[in-house]
Amino acid sequence: MAHVLEQLLNALALAGLLFLVSAGLSLVFGILRVVNFAHGVFYMLGAYLGFTTVALSGWFWPALLVVPPVVGAIGALLESSTLRFIYRRPPIYQLLLTFGLALILEESIRVLYGPTAKGVDPPPLLQGAVDLGGVLYPRYRLFLVVLGCTVGVAVWLFLRKTRAGLVIRAVAQNSEMADCLGADVVRVRTLVFGAACALAGLGGVAAAPMTTAYLGMGIGVIVDAFVVVVIGGLGSIGGSMAGSLIVGAAQTWGAFYLPETAMVIMYAVMGAILVFRPWGLFGEEE
Amino acid sequence: MRRRDFLKISVAGAAGTSLLAAPRYVRAAEAIKIGMPAALSGSYAQYGIQAKRAADLFSKDVKAKGILGRPVEFIFEDTAGDPAAAVRKAQKLVEKDGVKFLTGVALSSEALAVSAKCPEWKVLFMSTINGAGALTAKSFHRYFFRVNTSGPMGARAISLYLAESPMKRFFALGSDYAWGRDSAASFTQQITAAKKDIVGSDYPPVGTKDFASYIAKIRQSRAEGVYLALPGQDATIYMKQAHQFGLNREVKPIMEILELENMKAVGDAMVGAIGSSRYPFTVDTPKNKEFVKRFHELHGMYPDMFDGETYEGLEWLAQVIAKAGTDDVEKVIEAWEDSTYEGLEGPFLMRKCDHQAVQPGFAVECVKDPKYPHPIPKILATYPGDKVTPKCRTEEFS
Repeated sequence: MAHVLEQLLNALALAGLLFLVSAGLSLVFGILRVVNFAHGVFYMLGAYLGFTTVALSGWFWPALLVVPPVVGAIGALLESSTLRFIYRRPPIYQLLLTFGLALILEESIRVLYGPTAKGVDPPPLLQGAVDLGGVLYPRYRLFLVVLGCTVGVAVWLFLRKTRAGLVIRAVAQNSEMADCLGADVVRVRTLVFGAACALAGLGGVAAAPMTTAYLGMGIGVIVDAFVVVVIGGLGSIGGSMAGSLIVGAAQTWGAFYLPETAMVIMYAVMGAILVFRPWGLFGEEE
Repeated sequence: MRRRDFLKISVAGAAGTSLLAAPRYVRAAEAIKIGMPAALSGSYAQYGIQAKRAADLFSKDVKAKGILGRPVEFIFEDTAGDPAAAVRKAQKLVEKDGVKFLTGVALSSEALAVSAKCPEWKVLFMSTINGAGALTAKSFHRYFFRVNTSGPMGARAISLYLAESPMKRFFALGSDYAWGRDSAASFTQQITAAKKDIVGSDYPPVGTKDFASYIAKIRQSRAEGVYLALPGQDATIYMKQAHQFGLNREVKPIMEILELENMKAVGDAMVGAIGSSRYPFTVDTPKNKEFVKRFHELHGMYPDMFDGETYEGLEWLAQVIAKAGTDDVEKVIEAWEDSTYEGLEGPFLMRKCDHQAVQPGFAVECVKDPKYPHPIPKILATYPGDKVTPKCRTEEFS
């Protein structure tokens, strides 16, 4: 029984991380109609900036608070200086631009930090493992489960229950109409892009103690995040949650019970969704 | 106006012609070119960068005399760790730059792809990093030379050490590609031969970021030691997570390669891990001490495994070219076969039968030493070359 609980927690902890990344990816697509290839790099940037903050301050918690807004600001700046000008162009331009941004950011991080991975220690409170009925489980992973759930609920409440959330949803549904009704669409796009990057940055800071900050972590996570978003439905926060849980479970349980086919399972689920429900579990048919 | 245009064109044309003609005049001191299609970016950049660091030091050391009185020129190409890109870049180096020697290839998958092309190109491939046993067995050809310790040799060294240890039950975790699977298979075979048990094995995909499922399985297998053949970053992540799960206290981590890179990234959580090392910079030979000093002066850090192995390869290649008296590939191959070389960690012999360099093998432990800014490899046991090198053109040991 304890082992089943351990597998469940493993899936939830991974899902928590995946959600922080895929939520932003999904949000950006829903509102900006852009598939943001640079999204994974903001996750990586979060992890590296987290490392720097921890190294400078000696504390983990400030990193969790300070880094996401910084990453968000960098994202918003990039959106307003590059992406903003090509929304009307065919999607291939946006793909190329975000891909280029990803390469530039990744190589800049390499130049600044060097090729060696940067280890970040969890805060003292979350170090070590707790005994869950016979199974030793790392405290830090429990924290990831809580963090994923909290952020998930907060984002959902924000979009559903606040006025700003209403405007964002209006822009997502029909940006021209929202514009006519007085919503500042340009500003909404920049803010949403920044917020999405901040979420990815938060994911990066949170991931650093678990995976270290390393080059290539963005590429690894963006592939999973795309699968999450395809399964859950582009533009839907609920979909990102469901998709994260499905991918987290497929990866951890697959690796445990069917190791030879672990990688296949995740893509098989995605393939099935694409065939039977191409708009995703929670997406809307267009 | 016309006249001016004409002048411009003719000046440009003349410049162009003289550029084309230039090589004819300088051919007398033509450089010996060594091509390095190395992973300089991407997840495996640390290996390509080690090869480059070694080449930088070698260039500096050889600058005054050159090889055969000719300068040495390194040409780097970034493969990003992708076999298809590696073949493309290697082809460019051979056909466009005219290199006769390829080295610095980081991953075994890249090496298998590039090496397969070398007989056709008539270019010598010198492995200084690649571990896959197949390179000197199933996929061997006479243009291939391996200066470094291979995966099976590393597995052999650590198996010899474990055969003497009180541990009885082992779990094998190898990355799901040529090197990881080869090493795990080799380890399994040798541990079984030593009358000990393999109680489980698994092959996580390259680039795994969450090892929780594997950690759970290792714990459930009640193994006393876990053998890890995971490349660079994957090993770092595994060690970090196993430490958080408290697994390292219960199950001794045994690494196919115990690298400085991991020790720097993982830090104290790595202390206590044992493993084999292709080249531990702590080897106590005069030649090595001198090398570590020069390396530290140039790069401001201690040399990792493939810094050492690549430097040895380059120095040996230079020695062989000098012996052959030419950089003609066929003559170099003949001169290299059955030749000996005094490496950083001891004597090397290039076997004629499969071009595997016979060299000492090491079992090391990661320890803390206040003299160094990071944990270092402490040598537990040294095995002579004939004990750790497989039978010719196989991955088996007698």
